[in-house]
Amino acid sequence: MTSLDFEGRPVAIEVGDTIAAALYRSGVRVFSRSFKYHRPRALYCGTGDCPNCSMTVDGEAGVRTCVTPAAAGQRVHRSTGWPSAEWDVLGALWWLRPLLPVGFYYKSMHRPAGLWAIAERPIRKLAGRGAVPLDQPPGRPERRYHHPGVCVVGAGLAGLEAALAAAEQGERVVLCDEGSVGAMLPPGPLATRVAARAREVRGTPGILLLERATAIGVYEGPLVPIVAADALHLVLPERVIVATGAAERHAVFEGNDLPGVWLARGAALAAARFGLALGRAVVVAVETEAGLDNLDTIRQAGVSVRAVLAPAPLAARVAPGVPVLPDSRVVMAEGRSRVRAVIVDGPGGRQRIPCDALVLALGLVPRDNLARQARAASIAVDWAGEVASAGAASEAGPSAPRGFACLCEDVTAADLDLAWAEGYRGTELLKRYSTATMGPCQGAMCHAHLRGFAAARSVEPMASEATTARPPARPVRLEDVAAGARYPLEWHTALHDRHLEMGGIMEWAGIWKRVERYGDVLEEYRAVRERVSIMDVSTLGKYRIAGRDAPAFLERLSPCHVGDLKPGRSRYALLLNEAGYVFDDGLVGSLGDEGYYCTFTSGGADVMESWLRDWAEAWGHSVRIVNQTYTLGAINVAGPRARDLLGKLTTDPVDPTAIPYGGIRRLTVGGVPCTALRAGFVGELSFELHHPRLESVRLWDALLTAGAELGIRPHGLEALRLLRLEKGHIIVGQDTDFDSSPAKLGLEWAVRMSKPDFVGRSGLTRLATIAPNRVLRAFTFPGPVAPREGAQLMVGGERVGYLTSSRFSPALGYGIALGWVYRSGAGFPSTVGAVDGTGSILVGTVTTGPFFDPEGVRLRA
Amino acid sequence: MALIIPCPQCGPRPYTEFWCSGELPDGGHSANPGDLEADYARVWLRRNVAGEQRERWYHHAGCRRWCSLTRNTLTNAIHDVA
Repeated sequence: MTSLDFEGRPVAIEVGDTIAAALYRSGVRVFSRSFKYHRPRALYCGTGDCPNCSMTVDGEAGVRTCVTPAAAGQRVHRSTGWPSAEWDVLGALWWLRPLLPVGFYYKSMHRPAGLWAIAERPIRKLAGRGAVPLDQPPGRPERRYHHPGVCVVGAGLAGLEAALAAAEQGERVVLCDEGSVGAMLPPGPLATRVAARAREVRGTPGILLLERATAIGVYEGPLVPIVAADALHLVLPERVIVATGAAERHAVFEGNDLPGVWLARGAALAAARFGLALGRAVVVAVETEAGLDNLDTIRQAGVSVRAVLAPAPLAARVAPGVPVLPDSRVVMAEGRSRVRAVIVDGPGGRQRIPCDALVLALGLVPRDNLARQARAASIAVDWAGEVASAGAASEAGPSAPRGFACLCEDVTAADLDLAWAEGYRGTELLKRYSTATMGPCQGAMCHAHLRGFAAARSVEPMASEATTARPPARPVRLEDVAAGARYPLEWHTALHDRHLEMGGIMEWAGIWKRVERYGDVLEEYRAVRERVSIMDVSTLGKYRIAGRDAPAFLERLSPCHVGDLKPGRSRYALLLNEAGYVFDDGLVGSLGDEGYYCTFTSGGADVMESWLRDWAEAWGHSVRIVNQTYTLGAINVAGPRARDLLGKLTTDPVDPTAIPYGGIRRLTVGGVPCTALRAGFVGELSFELHHPRLESVRLWDALLTAGAELGIRPHGLEALRLLRLEKGHIIVGQDTDFDSSPAKLGLEWAVRMSKPDFVGRSGLTRLATIAPNRVLRAFTFPGPVAPREGAQLMVGGERVGYLTSSRFSPALGYGIALGWVYRSGAGFPSTVGAVDGTGSILVGTVTTGPFFDPEGVRLRA
Repeated sequence: MALIIPCPQCGPRPYTEFWCSGELPDGGHSANPGDLEADYARVWLRRNVAGEQRERWYHHAGCRRWCSLTRNTLTNAIHDVA
């Protein structure tokens, strides 16, 4: 015989058992402690609709054990109750409830300030529903897409028939059910019909049946996400049929949450399917036809029924053999840890019937969470079966003050009364204030009562509207939400491991990880300025653009002339959007017959590709665009000895006539074929070596080895930012924003308004009629300290701008910065005070041109 | 939201594989180059219709091609893909 482990002891399981059935059979009567008052709770709905049977199963909290199959070796324990769920000292909270009125956090935790910070931890511990297992690695469910004609949610009789009907019309169908088909039906004619239909469904090729698969929402599209054990199924059907059925109606009376109170469907299942003993003296309240069937099922299972309460017409149809109390109803259940007696009102007055179980068959409420979600989002869905036929909310509203309207959140009728008295007069307000309907069952039990309560007190239709249902309809594990998300969250260049081996400290650069520094930034800086250095610039956006119209295409894209580029030459190009603002910059290099090679800023390589293709199509140009960002690596070799270093590794000419500043040329360096660009971002002689990504490590190692005797040292982004700032070069995105036109940036030289057409030209024409309200300027700050980046610029108490880049320049011995200044009067301020929160005000002066090597002698070497 | 874009190259694919660049101006997005008023309208003015509009979609996780299509902004029904 197999068994599961329940809080350290073995519990035998029988074939077909749910966890709850096995536990109940072994004598477990308290299944959980309630959320707020720690009241004992036990099997109530038995159909997965209420929260009472939730336990922690194999580390997963909040598992509804009444619908979860038992399996050998399962580790099951109750998540609440200390020292045990049976004897929970916090059960005393029920007697302290006058101190814990609805909304008591808001009423008690606001003064003194900080009280909540102290109280939060113990309160959360008391009110928890179990812990998230942090020591357990998450599963890695797949994500699967389906595009059927129809998605049917719920494989009861209605769902099965809807699926078969659709399949007969030739439609493909995805049919899902929370449980296994038919598993939650007691033996009888319905179970037989469902089994027959299920066989047909399984034999129909056009129907995909997903069992133990929970539809958690209906989204626009429509999209129905279905959580199964091994996968998240994203179903995108033409139409959705909701056949989620109905739940037995919850009733609100004092003692309605006591162990021993059952809803009829669950009780019938427990008795007839799992052979559980409901009690020795059972009282059954029946108000529907279906309730009579459940009563019969229970009696046939051998349960001894002490009394049946029913309206007269139904009372007459109760099979003989039990005492029937016509037109009687339950007003209260007595007992402390379980039902001892039920108080009944009837034509003969009030009477007390001793019993140890009370079964309620008071009607059905639709399981309409998905349907309500769809309605709230204006998504058309069809309803089939009991979810459609079960009466909508028509509760009179709970009247017994101590009866629980909401079991999940422990909201009593008295709580709702108080909330109403405090002014929360409508379902949505009551919901938010009392949290009724907001627990794990998402209103399955209490939503109708909430509406009935409001309807009984207000004539405003709005006040008793159904509350908005939102996904998820069932609790979802985070790993299911993340199903299929396997993309690396950070991108690495081919040299990533090399950087780590060399002690590189990495930082985010968009989605990439790049080296901030290897060690001392100043040493890295000096290597570039005085000797030779290398940097991994593989993250640059890299494109080959070729084809008949390539020159015309690039000419029309860029605000400067590039169509006239001679082979072997490159040019700096701004890229403007149509409004005339700078959104990127880069180099366009001509490879002659092979077309063009272009590099753009690291950040938006994919956006740039879409932009290039967009214009190529719009103009009908015959061009081929290849995004080589991810196939090529790039290493920048910079410093006065850069040429000496390359000379050691190549037989190709690298002298200034062969590859001058601004040149582009094929070189084979250390056996690696490279496209070399003479760029000047750092202001030194430099060669950007673009090469196949697979060769990056080889090239990097060759450069480091050959450069050893030249004092080579790689540099990271921090050194780069300092080096480029000394040259006054902007970084698009750091020094620019959405409002940065070339004129404001001082980059008019990169724009040829004499060109008849280029992207952004008409925007610039329009902008030219407006004097710039602000400009980017270069500043010097004498003294040993530079202001922090982001410092505010002040003139006589007026804020006049802010810094976007700022560093102390080792070459110059004073602070240098770029920053925006606003127009004041006729011009822009030329002397500013920088306030950066450090307490001091540094006085800076506007300057022009690069700070370091303004003539560019070094980079042209 | 789930929305299927019928990509002319790749067939019907979920919208998550695409980027949308919004409504397509009358005559396409390069109509009347150099006409200041037309350019201004194209860059800055949107009709934002509740109903059918021409749009540009880019299949970034697929063929990396653009397509133009008509989408009903109320129902997400799509037709006239090119």
